[in-house]
Amino acid sequence: MEKVGAVLVAGGGIAGVQAALDLAESGYYVYLVERNAAIGGVMSQLDKTFPTNDCSMCILSPKLVECGRHLNVEILTLSEVVSIQGEEGNFQVEVLKHPRYVDEDKCVACGVCAEKCPRKVDNPFDEGLSKRKAIYVLYPQAVPLKYAIDRDHCIYFQKGKCRACEKFCENKAINFEQKEERIRLNVGSVILAPGFEVFDARLITYYGYGRFANVVTSKEFERILSASGPYQGHLVRPSDKREPERIAWIQCVGSRNINQCDHSYCSAVCCMYAIKEAVIAKEHSDRLLDTAIFYMDMRTYGKEFEKYYNRAKEESGVRFIPSRIHNVVEEPDTRNLLIRYTDNERQVIEETFDMVVLSVGLQTPRSLIEMAEKIGVSLDSHGFCSTSSFEPVATSRPGIYVCGAFQGPKDIPQSVMEASAAASSAAATLAEVRGTLVREKTYPDERNVAGEPPRIGVFVCNCGINIGSVVNVPEVAEYAATLPNVVFVDQNLFSCSQDTQDRMKAIIQEKKLNRVVVASCTPRTHEPLFQETCREAGLNKYLFEMANIRDQCSWVHMNSPEAATEKAKELVRMAVTKAALLEPLREVELGLTQSALVIGGGVAGMTAAKELSAQGFEVVLVEKGDQLGGNARFMRHTWKDEDIPTFLNGLIRSVEEDPRITVYKNAQIKAVDGFVGNFKSTLVVGDGAGEEVTVEHGAVIITTGARESQPSEYGYGEDPRIVTMQEFDRLAAQGDARVKEAKTIAFIQCVGSREPQRPYCSKVCCTHTCQSAVRLLEENPDREVFVFYRDIRTYGRNEDHYKVAREKGTLFFRYDVEEKPRVILEGGGLRVEGKDHVLGIPVTVEPDLIVLAAAIEPYDNRPLAQLYKVPLNDEGFFLEAHMKLRPVDFATDGVFLAGLAHYPKPLDESIAQAKAAVGRAVAVLATQRLQVGGTVAYADPTKCTGCGVCEMVCAYKAVHLNSETLTSEVNEALCKGCGTCVSSCRSGALQLRGFSDPQIFSMIDSLSS
Amino acid sequence: MEQQNAQDWEPKILAFLCNWCSYAGADLAGVSRLQYPPNIRIIRIPCSGRMNPAFIAAALRNGVDGVLVSGCHPGDCHYLSGNYFARRKFTVFKELLEFMGVEEGRVHFSWVSAAEGEKFAQVVQEVTEAVKALGPARHYVKEKIEVC
Amino acid sequence: MDTRVERIRSEAKRLLESGEVDLVIGFRKGSIPMVSRPWFVRTVEDTELLHWDGFCSLNLCNYLTKRKEKVAVVAKGCDTRSLVGHIQENQIQREQVLVLGVPCEGMLDRRALQERAEGTEILEVVESDGRVEIRGRGLERSFPRQEVLQHCCRICRHRNPVLHDRLLSAEVEEHQVERYEDVEEIDSQSPEERWAYFQNMLSPCIRCYACRNVCPHCYCTECFVDCSRPQWVGKSLDLNDVFTFHLFRAFHMAGRCTDCGSCERACPVGIPLRVLTRKLEKVVSERWGFEAGTDLEQLPPLATYRPDDPQDFIK
Repeated sequence: MEKVGAVLVAGGGIAGVQAALDLAESGYYVYLVERNAAIGGVMSQLDKTFPTNDCSMCILSPKLVECGRHLNVEILTLSEVVSIQGEEGNFQVEVLKHPRYVDEDKCVACGVCAEKCPRKVDNPFDEGLSKRKAIYVLYPQAVPLKYAIDRDHCIYFQKGKCRACEKFCENKAINFEQKEERIRLNVGSVILAPGFEVFDARLITYYGYGRFANVVTSKEFERILSASGPYQGHLVRPSDKREPERIAWIQCVGSRNINQCDHSYCSAVCCMYAIKEAVIAKEHSDRLLDTAIFYMDMRTYGKEFEKYYNRAKEESGVRFIPSRIHNVVEEPDTRNLLIRYTDNERQVIEETFDMVVLSVGLQTPRSLIEMAEKIGVSLDSHGFCSTSSFEPVATSRPGIYVCGAFQGPKDIPQSVMEASAAASSAAATLAEVRGTLVREKTYPDERNVAGEPPRIGVFVCNCGINIGSVVNVPEVAEYAATLPNVVFVDQNLFSCSQDTQDRMKAIIQEKKLNRVVVASCTPRTHEPLFQETCREAGLNKYLFEMANIRDQCSWVHMNSPEAATEKAKELVRMAVTKAALLEPLREVELGLTQSALVIGGGVAGMTAAKELSAQGFEVVLVEKGDQLGGNARFMRHTWKDEDIPTFLNGLIRSVEEDPRITVYKNAQIKAVDGFVGNFKSTLVVGDGAGEEVTVEHGAVIITTGARESQPSEYGYGEDPRIVTMQEFDRLAAQGDARVKEAKTIAFIQCVGSREPQRPYCSKVCCTHTCQSAVRLLEENPDREVFVFYRDIRTYGRNEDHYKVAREKGTLFFRYDVEEKPRVILEGGGLRVEGKDHVLGIPVTVEPDLIVLAAAIEPYDNRPLAQLYKVPLNDEGFFLEAHMKLRPVDFATDGVFLAGLAHYPKPLDESIAQAKAAVGRAVAVLATQRLQVGGTVAYADPTKCTGCGVCEMVCAYKAVHLNSETLTSEVNEALCKGCGTCVSSCRSGALQLRGFSDPQIFSMIDSLSS
Repeated sequence: MEQQNAQDWEPKILAFLCNWCSYAGADLAGVSRLQYPPNIRIIRIPCSGRMNPAFIAAALRNGVDGVLVSGCHPGDCHYLSGNYFARRKFTVFKELLEFMGVEEGRVHFSWVSAAEGEKFAQVVQEVTEAVKALGPARHYVKEKIEVC
Repeated sequence: MDTRVERIRSEAKRLLESGEVDLVIGFRKGSIPMVSRPWFVRTVEDTELLHWDGFCSLNLCNYLTKRKEKVAVVAKGCDTRSLVGHIQENQIQREQVLVLGVPCEGMLDRRALQERAEGTEILEVVESDGRVEIRGRGLERSFPRQEVLQHCCRICRHRNPVLHDRLLSAEVEEHQVERYEDVEEIDSQSPEERWAYFQNMLSPCIRCYACRNVCPHCYCTECFVDCSRPQWVGKSLDLNDVFTFHLFRAFHMAGRCTDCGSCERACPVGIPLRVLTRKLEKVVSERWGFEAGTDLEQLPPLATYRPDDPQDFIK
């Protein structure tokens, strides 16, 4: 059967959007099918995201817009997949498209229809905390920004008359005659990214959700915090709109609970979002807000999570109370809420809160379970899509892939990672039809603006109320109109929304603007978006300038609206002044080497190499040791109890036999030259004065791994019966008597993790310990297994291991970091002394074997970091470009990351990340040409005196002195545009395009005018 | 006389922030809603290495009361070493400027990372206070002469 | 006659005769007393006019750049330091220049001698063993040489050429003199006083740019003060513009100035400009242990860095 170069992505949340963009960038046509009237998913409803506290909408919106405007992404909203026929490479997907009753081509989202619509309904986007009309847009930045009629509530549909919207719609966009459509799409592959729903807290009656007005779910609380939410970001409680003074969070509502809801799993994200909500709530509150989180285990296992938790405790003063809450009682008069719990001293304490937030878990919706059955994709016992650890994004049906929370409860970065992985896997099966169905973006010819006097258009953004509630936007706009060269001024509600973008485009053309200034948020996130709009309007994208009147004005001067307005005006004036001096810049196209280098021959590295090869790219795999396999060589089972050695041997063999993969063992990177698309790395192969090999490659994936640390505590090294996890696995595999004959085994958790020297959780140890406990007890039920722990962090479905370990009789003792268990070696015996946290009495265990959950620590990554110009975090792990939305990218183009070098993680996550890195790398490699130039330096030979200081200061070897003319020349392909040479040039011969001396001086001058 | 004016006088401060660290730090301060004095105006430059000391002089001559230049911490420069060269230039320029009589608190330098929203807010607070303490720029301000 | 003059002449003669160089740049006696002027020698005959005395203070490096031919140059300690800078900054190729090094006892300060003549016209100056004698109508006075040296020479630490192909006399003794007394005194003042000091010092400046034009290291095609796009320094006599000119002239000299004294000698209104360049000389020396023009291998201080450079002034 012929393969088809198109992919269907089901689900338009962040995972679906990422998968769609990756595929579209790497040469496939994408149908993005979304159930709702707009894409964005749950992430669009969130206020801030942990652990960076980035505004969720702010970082999501550019991706949505990119998706919305991408030539190779076709968005089908109000649509759902009904059936999938065919097989890998060639599927026929039937999609049911519900009527919108609004013609998308005609609707301009002016909002008159909603204004006139007499029917108010609960707004599901605000979780029912606010009202919307029966004709609605999902949210202000919705993509596509088109109204839709909610048939179930529309008076016309329900009662046969009204049609007010139709009457008032100027564009005649309302169409009551629209019918359901069944669309058949032919695609090569399908990616399922349908997401999750939150647990229905009504089912747990004793917390009173649904009965007590001030008991809300965490998702409702996100909306309450959100500036675009039901209360405009004012933190008030639902019953009386009064600002709360005390808020409690109750964890594990609908998670880790088999009595009320049959959800034994941990939802993996609630601990972090609860901490984040508490911290943000405190920031929102004018008064000293008391926040208390009631939890069973605090599961801050991800990158930078533990530090976030510590800061919440120490700096923000969030209270953390380890107690499961039995019930919530409402005081009828005040509608305050009473919570009873036991403290550390086992005293019963009663506390009153103004609000209680239920940290509701994630689950697969019923409808999805039915759909999975229909399309022949099997689910696990928890209702999540079942996948193997070794193919973490492949469903049971070949050619259909999965990512996001449908694969298992998870956070945004993990979802994004899996999305790129799923995209990569889908692409790998369709490599030979890459590029067959894509359309090329053609921009209108760039208008030649040379010689024209500047005609500047200024667009001042309200950013909903983010700017407008502090800065007087009309005043700023009025002021902008008085500035020289300004011929047009407009105010936008959301400059980044698609309709505004379209309108800006029209205005640029209509008003013959040749410079555009947007006064809104930060150019770091939004400049590319507006530049794209300029291009689409036939304007060189460098004729664009931004004034940041939100992040650096309205948000930081909330209490001084007048001063903020004055400042905004000056920022606009500065931007307009610079804009007048902007010049169109050209970008040059370069060829690129369509191959990759993978550094590190562990499972992540080998997976990346295999995946790249499957996509048709040559790979060089470099391993510093003498064999492939990395840490997996010491591992026995995945958390799903799959056999690792069998998998590993197969993987190693297939890598070594792959004709597209060249493996260098005992090899290290010595020097790196070049840049994205055209790297040249020099390897030294062999010991001592090894042979040098030069590799040319377009991208590089760093998968250098990490290692188990050597404990310095708990008597490690003093007795052969005190071992680390990795040693324990090896001994167990070898049938060593120390394990085989051990009757009593003690595990000690967090050995070297969550300590000042390593303020992070090593993520894999708790699961490994529980799994090991179960195996030990299965081998011999007479054994006694003890676990000393701080929090058991068996996140997600790993929780089952914890549950089974307890059921089989493992005894768990929680310890405090101030009061760690003590290991005593005495008279040839081992003793562990701790404390029973439930009974508060000392516990002494005399084990035959002590297993220490030693921390995972990074290798010395500094040399590699320097060579490839990428950063490390404080602990020495590589630091990705953005912790939320670019989890496998570096800020430096063409360099990607996967595996333990990023952060400790289990095997399946490493594999997913490796595939994700390939997905991202292929987006670079699949393009035949590379755009460079733009903001680069240039030299004026008539001014250059040839002193050579520019050459001396350039870190990229982009400037050199021409030996003939003795003047400087800039290689635009190598220049990164930092401007260090420019400011070092005494004679003014060097300038930086887009940041020239005249441009910067003009901004300075404009300050005093 | 000046002391009387100082009561309601608010200094104008110009900051030059590198795109990758300090500008991002300033954004983070915003995202975190950290409040700081509104006296500061920010010019984004790609790297502290782009910073020509002439910009500082131009700002002061234009009547700006204080200048802040901020870049990535040593070792963090997005362009590897731009901030190191910047540091050398600033060392020399600051010494010279102060030698010639410009007050010490007029021109400030800091390293603020993309993660240091709080530090950014704090630096702005400190710079604003330092400049306020000096009073309006008097010495190195060029009388505006209309040039045709 | 000074034996150095003979050495210069004979060496120049030999070099031209052998064709080793196309041009010898040295000094000849001026037509008035106390002035020696540059002398460009292409023929053997012209070597006879080559001269050397205490008035050869001009920095001949100024004449070396933008030349194609092979040149020999007569150079004092400070000149050779400028030469090192020029070679580093690609203004001249090392192979292209043959350095006739002259250890220097310091150049004489014409103004100081004139003052000591108390109004009488000096017709002749005789230099001998550590002493200088001025003669004129009814005038015959002699002073220790050290007393009538130019300021830059009095505090010079590099009298011997740092770079040379021929050394034309025995090396002289170097003095570890205190170079920054005046700088330190200004440093100890309050900002107000310093501001007033420099306003006062710079107010006579007539923006003739002689200091710039004479400086061997000011070789930009277009000086920042002449730049019209952007024109950020006014061309007026406004003291603020004057101040800015001198601020940046000095800044551009950081780590490059060898304190040859040309600028001060050229200043028609006698502004002691070197206090600015010496301030920076002190900074680069104290912070980074750098001394301009002393080592061909050492990169200029603003074109290099160390990760652990001092940064006490950075928040």
